[in-house]
Amino acid sequence: MTITLNRVLRNSLSKKVLTAFSLILAPVFAMAADVVEPPQEFNPMAWDWSTLLTLALMLLVILVIARAFDIGSLTEKISGKRLVSPHKINGWVAIIFLVLGLIGVWYEMVYHGKHVLLNDAASEHGAVYDSMFMWTFGFTFVVFIITEVLLFYFMFRYSYDENRKALYYFHNNKLEVIWTVVPAIVLTFLVLRGFNTWSKITSADNEDAQEIEVFAYQFGWKARYAGADNKFGDNSFTFISGSNPLGLAVEGSIDELSQSLTDEIAALEALIASADDSAAVWSARLKDFEAQGRQRAYPEAYKKIREMAMDAESGAYVRSLEKEIKRKSTNIKRIAKFRADQNMFNKSAYDDKVVTEIVLVKNQPYVFKFRARDVIHSAYMPEFRAQMNCVPGMSTQFAFTPIKSTDEARAEKGNPEYDYYLYCNKICGAAHYNMKIKITVVDNQAQYETWLAQQAPVVAPVEAPAVEADPASDTTSQATPAVAFN
Amino acid sequence: MSTAALHAEHEAHHEHKESFISKYVFSMDHKMISKQFLITGIVMGMIGMIMSLLFRLQLAWPDDQFSIIETLLGKWGVDGKLDPNFYMGLVTIHGTIMVFYVLTAGLSGTFSNLLIPLQVGARDMASPFMNMLSYWFFFMSSVVLLISVGVETGPASGGWTVYPPLSALDKAMPGSGLGMTLWLVAIVLFIVSSLLGGINYISTVLNQRTKGMSMNRLPLTIWAFFFTAVLGLLSFPVLLGAGLFLIFDRSFGTSFYLSDIYLEGVGALENIGGSPVLYQHLFWFLGHPEVYIILMPALGITSEVISCNARKPIFGYTAMIISLLGISFLSFIVWGHHMFITGMNPFLGSVFMILTLIIAVPSAVKAFNYLTTLWKGNLRFTPAMLFSIGLVSFFISGGLTGIYLGNAALDIQMHDSYFVVAHFHLVMGSAAIFGMFAGIYHWFPRMYGRMMNNTLGYFHFWITFICAYLVFFPMHFMGLAGVPRRYYQFTLVEQFDVWIDVNKLITVSAIVAGAAQLLFLYNFFVSVFRGKKAAQNPWGANTLEWSSPIDVRLHGNWPGDLPTVYRGPYEYSRPDREEDFFPQYVPDESAPEVLEPEKAKSAPAEKEVEEESSVFFAAIKRVFGLG
Ligand code: HEM
Ligand SMILES: [Cu+2]
Ligand SMILES: [Cu+2]
Repeated sequence: MTITLNRVLRNSLSKKVLTAFSLILAPVFAMAADVVEPPQEFNPMAWDWSTLLTLALMLLVILVIARAFDIGSLTEKISGKRLVSPHKINGWVAIIFLVLGLIGVWYEMVYHGKHVLLNDAASEHGAVYDSMFMWTFGFTFVVFIITEVLLFYFMFRYSYDENRKALYYFHNNKLEVIWTVVPAIVLTFLVLRGFNTWSKITSADNEDAQEIEVFAYQFGWKARYAGADNKFGDNSFTFISGSNPLGLAVEGSIDELSQSLTDEIAALEALIASADDSAAVWSARLKDFEAQGRQRAYPEAYKKIREMAMDAESGAYVRSLEKEIKRKSTNIKRIAKFRADQNMFNKSAYDDKVVTEIVLVKNQPYVFKFRARDVIHSAYMPEFRAQMNCVPGMSTQFAFTPIKSTDEARAEKGNPEYDYYLYCNKICGAAHYNMKIKITVVDNQAQYETWLAQQAPVVAPVEAPAVEADPASDTTSQATPAVAFN
Repeated sequence: MSTAALHAEHEAHHEHKESFISKYVFSMDHKMISKQFLITGIVMGMIGMIMSLLFRLQLAWPDDQFSIIETLLGKWGVDGKLDPNFYMGLVTIHGTIMVFYVLTAGLSGTFSNLLIPLQVGARDMASPFMNMLSYWFFFMSSVVLLISVGVETGPASGGWTVYPPLSALDKAMPGSGLGMTLWLVAIVLFIVSSLLGGINYISTVLNQRTKGMSMNRLPLTIWAFFFTAVLGLLSFPVLLGAGLFLIFDRSFGTSFYLSDIYLEGVGALENIGGSPVLYQHLFWFLGHPEVYIILMPALGITSEVISCNARKPIFGYTAMIISLLGISFLSFIVWGHHMFITGMNPFLGSVFMILTLIIAVPSAVKAFNYLTTLWKGNLRFTPAMLFSIGLVSFFISGGLTGIYLGNAALDIQMHDSYFVVAHFHLVMGSAAIFGMFAGIYHWFPRMYGRMMNNTLGYFHFWITFICAYLVFFPMHFMGLAGVPRRYYQFTLVEQFDVWIDVNKLITVSAIVAGAAQLLFLYNFFVSVFRGKKAAQNPWGANTLEWSSPIDVRLHGNWPGDLPTVYRGPYEYSRPDREEDFFPQYVPDESAPEVLEPEKAKSAPAEKEVEEESSVFFAAIKRVFGLG
């Protein structure tokens, strides 16, 4: 294994490929340079990140390639025999990598460290969290630097030398015990601390905490406040309808849902009854279409028609209708079962407030109860060091106390537009990336109460039927109280 | 089957002429099967990488249009804009391909097949036929997965973990229709392949070792493949179960994972009583061992390559085995660290946290042992050696962030953020890919009888190494600032605007890294046909595979008798020897086997193996019924 770079480079094969490779890279860099906007003036400190690194990378690659092409002839000129072994070169590259890498790490920490949310928590337990983070960071960073420096230093220091023999060194029990026990001790410390932090966060005292329900669906969030009676109304997924997105136990809306399901079933049954006719219609249409030779011109429409004709022919169409009927009648049956339950329909849902913004009061403890209605979502509130999955069929919760109001955060960031958000952090479909709800932390209870008073209750009180938040609710049945969701 | 009978069978094999089909297609020679795995793995790897570049373009320049996207993706890339549904599909298939097809089958399949028989001194696998089936199931599975990308409603797009209900309801997202069905079919085929392979690897290692090859003389590669196979055998059936339940829920109206669901545009579903969290338990019971299934073969390869090219015994051979064993065992009881915030009982979370952080100890031992092996070595920087050292670097930097994520409290903030993406791409993605490259560069002469070009290898390594760090290191900071993963674009959230430049840097680096793989492809395929002819033992290595003739294709590996093993695999730079290596198969005047030729000759191989195996291995054998 003493092939020199020299000899390898004389091999025209690799030369050709390297040239080709730089040709391939050129457009990549050109593209990068094109998209990354040029700096306004020559002020390297103001250069954006990717300009710098693209430049550095470009330089590095070009230098290395040029150098590599050079070395072959250079070494020959000097001595007529091989001077630089590839092992030495790689050793040097390792050292250069190490130095540049450490500078890169430092650069990252300075320039991006400031965007990191550390020591900036907006919740009470956030401080505990952040200190746990700093301890972990401290230990791992020291280990990271020591081991990586050793690794690349060894590459440089012990690169191949024909005249040296490696140390014949099989094992050393003492050493091995040391590096089993020391990490074990450090980890024990981190585990105990982690344990402590975890139980502090998860066993927050909920005695005087206010409850808020956070409800996730494709693709949005709704929050529910308990209203004047301080009690949440019952709910079930079988009650959910367009006008009752949370499935609250509100008689009017549910009876309406039952009725419309019944109507839909009737419509579906009518379709089944006429299925034979419709099969005939579809196959006639298909024949027409084919006879006129329009498949080529309208491939999409043709496909659709063919599919319908085939489904009608094979009975798949009727089967799918029957399945729908079964689903809808199960829904009706379940509604009927619940409907008889007086405890469920105790009207405590009426004054609940369903809102599209979460408003919290500074220093007030909260318990968030999470529900999801279709797939798993995750309520992620990074500024508050809080996250919990929202799982259909399950209720989950997370408790915390906000300690920094939105106004304070805005002042701190110097950004009057700054807002807290709750993001969805579990892949849930196409609009997952745009599923968020604003969180506003107000300074005092009065502000909160003013806000809450402006929100419409689920069912407008009968005394004041004129106040209707949603004009769409005009279409609902007159006999039952109007349902007004926002 | 006794060795003698096997031998006879193989003698018979040499007699008949092999047709093209039996030689290259339905081959039962483990060396050919390993090449089949390798080539399929490389092809899948290229596809997975191109997918990642496509969605990286979207993340870096969400407002720009790229004609290449329209050209490649058609209706999913109208006007050069990547469709959000297809973005999810690309991420999902990228993850699936990389995890299962490249780093499970492509890595473990290639090198377990190549090295197990050659390094333990066997003529072939315990069951060459099952071995062949294993490859063809894998091949079918790959084809089905690739077909799923082209179906009208798009490929599976719920993430590589395909959590229900999202993946169970075709109305929840288009990818959960036919694409998801094909994904499940592909995974079931994949599991079959993996089980067929795993059983073979285990029984070959336990039963087919040549004379003198006791368990404590096995190269660390074999130990790693062995543990990997055991992990796969115990965990893949659970994934199969999870997958079957999911298939039932999707097609036969059961409710294992479904309960209380209302879908927009459909209405309330009938399913009640199931639990989506059940799926996560089942999935991660495989999923966590899976990351070690990916990583351990790479670690095994690294041990071998580092020791050989440092011309120095691996430091702490026994400690290396014990830590592999510890990692394997622990990997079955830590799956809950993927589920800290599913609402599990906080006490359970604590238990999983403790168990998870314990895994860091054997991992640390491995890292320190690698470092000590390099210390005072005589390091020959072949491309394989560079890639192995790169692996150690990634293993350290990615492993350390595991200490954050394994901490239930810290995970509250980091779960599903870009911090996780950075963590697993370093410790599992980059590290294992580098292990795979190290293996390819190192054993290329053994596979094809020719050498790869070193200079191209150097460029391949340094460019890939630098770019991998440029891609994944900044992601830690994004994650710590609360940037969620699996987002189609970040520009809708003002807070994330500060990361626009970083996203560009990452994408440019990924493209450069992708371009560097062209160097590798060129080097690989040209060298297969035109590379310099390799010497019999080009790296001066100790292990048995370099004693089997490199220049002729031989089903049965050794022309005459099987080689005898006289010592452990890591006798490099022995002070009493002139040469800096001392192969396992070279007799030595002072070796006990040579001093007592009577005993060595008369003892049948199996007997000897039985004596030398410890009680522990006897127990394993009994458990698997392999004795
Ligand atoms: C060319 C190099 C690669 C690049 C640029 C890349 C980039 C990415 C990115 C940006 C994501 C999406 C993260 C998200 O939004 O959640 C991703 C996901 C993923 N990648 Fe890679 N990756 C590369 C190689 C690999 C390798 C070698 C592996 C092998 C383990 C891998 C495994 C995964 C997995 C498992 C996911 C998660 C998919 C999911 O969210 O379902 N990647 N990759
Ligand atoms: Cu989501
Ligand atoms: Cu895990």
